[in-house]
Amino acid sequence: MPGSMMLPDLSAVTPEGGVRAAALARWQEQGWPGHRAEAWRYTRLDRLDDLDLAPVTGLAGTASGPADDAARGIGAHVLRFVNGVFDPAGLSDLPEGMTIVDLGSDEAALSRLADLAPAGHPVSDLSLAVMSGGILIDITGAVDAPLMVIFEGDDSKASAHPAMLVRLAEGASLQLAEWHQSSVGLAAPLIGYDIGAGARLEQVKVQAEGAEVAHLAATGVALSDGASVAGFSLSTGAALARLETHVTMQGEGADCQLSAIYMGRGTQHQDITTYMDHAVANCTSNQIIRGVLDDSARGVYQGRVHVAPDAQKTDGQQMSRALLLSRKAEADAKPELEIYADDVVCAHGATVGELDATQMFYLTSRGIPETIARAMLIEAFLIDTIETIENATLAGLLRPVAEAWLAGSEGA
Amino acid sequence: MTALLEIRDLHASVGDKPILKGINLTINTGEVHAIMGPNGSGKSTMSYVLAGRDGYKVTGGDILMKGESLLEMEPDERARAGMFLAFQYPVELPGVGGMSFLRAAVNARRVEAGEEEIDQLGFVKIVREKAKLLGISDDMLKRAVNVGFSGGEKKRYEILQMALLEPSMAVLDETDSGLDVDALRIVSEGVNLLRDPGRAMLVITHYQRLLNHIVPDQVHILAGGKIRKSGGKELALEVEESGYAGIDDAA
Repeated sequence: MPGSMMLPDLSAVTPEGGVRAAALARWQEQGWPGHRAEAWRYTRLDRLDDLDLAPVTGLAGTASGPADDAARGIGAHVLRFVNGVFDPAGLSDLPEGMTIVDLGSDEAALSRLADLAPAGHPVSDLSLAVMSGGILIDITGAVDAPLMVIFEGDDSKASAHPAMLVRLAEGASLQLAEWHQSSVGLAAPLIGYDIGAGARLEQVKVQAEGAEVAHLAATGVALSDGASVAGFSLSTGAALARLETHVTMQGEGADCQLSAIYMGRGTQHQDITTYMDHAVANCTSNQIIRGVLDDSARGVYQGRVHVAPDAQKTDGQQMSRALLLSRKAEADAKPELEIYADDVVCAHGATVGELDATQMFYLTSRGIPETIARAMLIEAFLIDTIETIENATLAGLLRPVAEAWLAGSEGA
Repeated sequence: MTALLEIRDLHASVGDKPILKGINLTINTGEVHAIMGPNGSGKSTMSYVLAGRDGYKVTGGDILMKGESLLEMEPDERARAGMFLAFQYPVELPGVGGMSFLRAAVNARRVEAGEEEIDQLGFVKIVREKAKLLGISDDMLKRAVNVGFSGGEKKRYEILQMALLEPSMAVLDETDSGLDVDALRIVSEGVNLLRDPGRAMLVITHYQRLLNHIVPDQVHILAGGKIRKSGGKELALEVEESGYAGIDDAA
């Protein structure tokens, strides 16, 4: 049964059979997760109730935000989704080693994206079904220039369903930034990263959506033999955000670094959910999660590491820490290890704390105003996490976003 | 000479427990005073009350610095007005770079005084100069504040901050604790360099040995939350010989 919540008007959407029709059928059967869905225990979608949204099919509207300047600053090639619809202007002058074609007309690619996408996640089905102008990006070598994919659009009545499958061929490499800065009603990006043997993806995601946006992202990642992924998300925007990523280690010797920082104030709700599936032996994964919550903001980290019976010599780590700046802020952490192999090194940990009063006194006793002292300690709390990003170009994109948030905190 | 710090009948509590029970003390510009006392006499409470730490509640009396009451001022405001506390236990700040910490402190002071913020290059030069006198290496300056510092290094770093902030009223809380003879000498020399006709200092210590190096103009004995005896530097020697036992704290 569909949930009682907002159902995007699907009347204009008619996938013609195949993978997308099947996804639509699943969506129409399942709908939004209901109150009893364990995976959505900490993140309720009730607030979507009042929204009256429809998927957008045409390219329209102007957009603005800091992403373009950031892209120019690092010499990135820019692709753009506006209200969820791909803007083909980005197809000219592609960097060497990159091709982009229409995703909707490639049934095999659609099927692969459906496989990678988080199973049972409403966006996995909904966005696959109703996407308009999704893209398939193939990386065949080492692409020098970073790729920036900007998700924007100012149609507050839109439910945006950008879809993208990025395939890295054997030995290929790519630096990619996702930058989400829309003011749509619902942003529901469905993104797959399919990493070939020995290939490397360095990826950052900036979630800096407008204040009213519900951002529900479904991301799937698969790593082949010896592949590596260094992924990092910074989530500061939206009224409600859930960044859900499912990773499958399908080839031995793969390595996945998947870290995130979320920052919330006001009544923001920030959710980072990951599922790390060690399906084969000899893979490593590491997740570092940091959250900063002010006012009545709420943060959630759910991280499950699954180690299959044959996945010996797995090294799977996750550590989450949340910093509460206000008595009314709340953080929930639900780390889970599901280990079916016996020769593994896995660990998880989660802490929730406040700013240290003694450290605050030390800083202010030197004349540093309280607001600046707070910002210094918050930055200190985050800095070692940002410093885990090896790619300085991509790390450089995140710092100003985090600093802007901290500056907003100073004015509070 | 004018009074830089006037403490008038100061009463203070930690939680519900009265610790300071009527302190009177006046320190004039250019003077160095020492407060000595046994453990639990209220020495550290005194330093925290002066700096304005949360949880140290003034229940009576007043503290005037340059004629103005400090009681309504937050710790950062007191610091920018010229108060400085060298901590007995300097606080580690993992992730806070030493240079940015020092610069934030100095710039806060400069902004208050209507001066331009100091740029990074100019600042590094000043810090290195002052650090050298205190035997503080470049490596230490690059580290996070107090992280991985030895006890002696932490105390030297306190004095470096004092040298950079140029306070009018410096309170040194048990600056000698945990120092070996050489470190004590370096720290004391650093403090003595900062003795200045425009500055007053209050040296809080349990032992007399620090006062061989930082020679005070006046010594006060604190016991049971009150000053029991005041005198010249010879009072410290008296205490060294006969201990605190002779000080009547039942009054």
